[in-house]
Amino acid sequence: MNLRTMNSRRMLPTLPATSVLTCVLVACLTLAASPALPSHASAQDVQVTGPLAGAPAVRRMRIYREGRLQLQPGFAITLQDQFDKAMVFTLQAQYHITDWLGVGVWGGYAGVHLNTDLTKQIKAQGVTTDRNRLSLPDRANFDQQIGQMQWMAALQLTFVPLRGKLALFQKLFVDADFHIFLGAAFVGLEERADVSSTGCNVACLNDSQTLRSSRVAIAPTFGAGLTMYLNDYLGLSVEWRGILFAWNRSGTDESGSPNGDFPDGEINSSDRFLSLNHMFQIGLTFYLPTEAHISE
Amino acid sequence: MKKSFSALLVLLAVVLLPLAGGTPWVQVARAQMDFSLDEAETDTPPADDAQSDSGADMTFDEGQAEGGEGADFGGGGGDVIGQLAAEDEGAQGATGDAAPRATASQEEVYAVQQVYALRINRVELLPSFAFTVNDPYVSHTALGLGLNYWFTNVLAVGVNFLWYQGLSSESDLNFFVRRSTRLAVPITEWQMGAHLNFTYVPLYGKFSAFNQFIFQWDAYIVGGVGLMRTRPVPVIDPEIRQFSYQMRVAFNVGMGLRVFLSRFLTFFTEFRDYAYLEKFENLEVALGGQRTDASTWFASGSTLVNNTTVQVGFTLFFPFTFEYHLPK
Repeated sequence: MNLRTMNSRRMLPTLPATSVLTCVLVACLTLAASPALPSHASAQDVQVTGPLAGAPAVRRMRIYREGRLQLQPGFAITLQDQFDKAMVFTLQAQYHITDWLGVGVWGGYAGVHLNTDLTKQIKAQGVTTDRNRLSLPDRANFDQQIGQMQWMAALQLTFVPLRGKLALFQKLFVDADFHIFLGAAFVGLEERADVSSTGCNVACLNDSQTLRSSRVAIAPTFGAGLTMYLNDYLGLSVEWRGILFAWNRSGTDESGSPNGDFPDGEINSSDRFLSLNHMFQIGLTFYLPTEAHISE
Repeated sequence: MKKSFSALLVLLAVVLLPLAGGTPWVQVARAQMDFSLDEAETDTPPADDAQSDSGADMTFDEGQAEGGEGADFGGGGGDVIGQLAAEDEGAQGATGDAAPRATASQEEVYAVQQVYALRINRVELLPSFAFTVNDPYVSHTALGLGLNYWFTNVLAVGVNFLWYQGLSSESDLNFFVRRSTRLAVPITEWQMGAHLNFTYVPLYGKFSAFNQFIFQWDAYIVGGVGLMRTRPVPVIDPEIRQFSYQMRVAFNVGMGLRVFLSRFLTFFTEFRDYAYLEKFENLEVALGGQRTDASTWFASGSTLVNNTTVQVGFTLFFPFTFEYHLPK
């Protein structure tokens, strides 16, 4: 294992951002300028004439959401985790004003936490010196200094732009809809408590490693999902959710220096970095009342 | 005069008899009209004849008064939509649908609709943008181009090409870990990937947007084998070590969603995992003259790497048009 400190922040050569943007722009313009493409993007060019002209796209559609209460217990797992992977037990209650718009609350409790491979590596092979003693007082306790999401609650609006059905192997036909949502989330966080290396000896720093502080982060949340309806009142939902907030995931001193983006000898709020926290959720959806309306 | 008197009696009879209870032929005519309306517009059970009679009479009278099209309307000839709707929907108001049905009799409605866009014997071109989602250290973004040939409506064979070099970006995490824990995480750089793959469409459907537009879509699974050109990024001993790109055999499997914007243009998004055996940089630095020996730069053994990628792009089907083999 290499013990040297790497001074260079980026080891990977990359094209300048302008070059990448230029490539993407050229690709988009080329595609857009292609004479093969239709002059406008529109719904499929089904030319409906005769008795179907002017008729609604779907008749006798089951209105699963409008005027109904949706209850959805579920299970979520966080994605792209650096140090801690959380398994979250979720519950959602939502009232749908129309078939395409709902308002509700979502909450989750992170009951299980798993160390990522990086955390295990640091626990096994991390090196503590006088230079990094504040960030890593004792490698064996590294998993006790990392930040964790404990619970989440969100008030959100759900928008259902697409509604349809799908066939699996031409045998199983189920109604389905696609939804997106946007809201405000409150996230209960547990992070390493603030500590300063000034006047704190080795024992003090070792003790500080496992001290925790809790706070609530207010963050935007958004995502998208697909619901498949098994009958009038029961469905299966899969969903991706992102929650954007700043936190100190590693419990280390990374920033705060007045001279730039360097450690300042303190672990505090200046060491929090904005990150989009992903999670994937699967849930069982119940609708009340249990009977769905049928459109004209 | 006698003829005129006889004609007057007949005329009086015609006018007065309906007021007294109706003549037999008038009753027959009413019965036919009632029957037609019941069949076309209502699903009233026989036990409710009295109620349905009165309702049908009112509806019919309104139709007569508005346009005098009661014969066509009541007869229901050619009104396939109305009959189908009546069979399925049960009782519904008749007045709202009366107007468009005057011209509906010349149209045809098919019990089974044709597949919206046939794929068989068509070539699909797929320009795309790709990015990895499972690597917290390096974001491997790429520009992609794929080509598929559909030899059935649900099976295709194709190639997929991804160009990564110069488009990847390294996250701050690697630097922070090095600084805070004195651990270096070996990373790699990718130049390109070329893959042979098969595509199968097991799932298809359609979505309506706000009950106005219908979008056909399908979901597919894809898998295959290919080559990737990668090299380690010198992190452990960057002053000495320089790596060149080497070929790796990569297997891929994934699933995607394709939304038809027209019969030849679709939007697609795909989730695919490229798995291959990677040779990372050696975490140990040899001492002395061996430090410059390139054979000591690679770690012993290989590591299985999963490159989970999301691809987003458009597909173009060639030729743009096609003919259905079977009639509607």
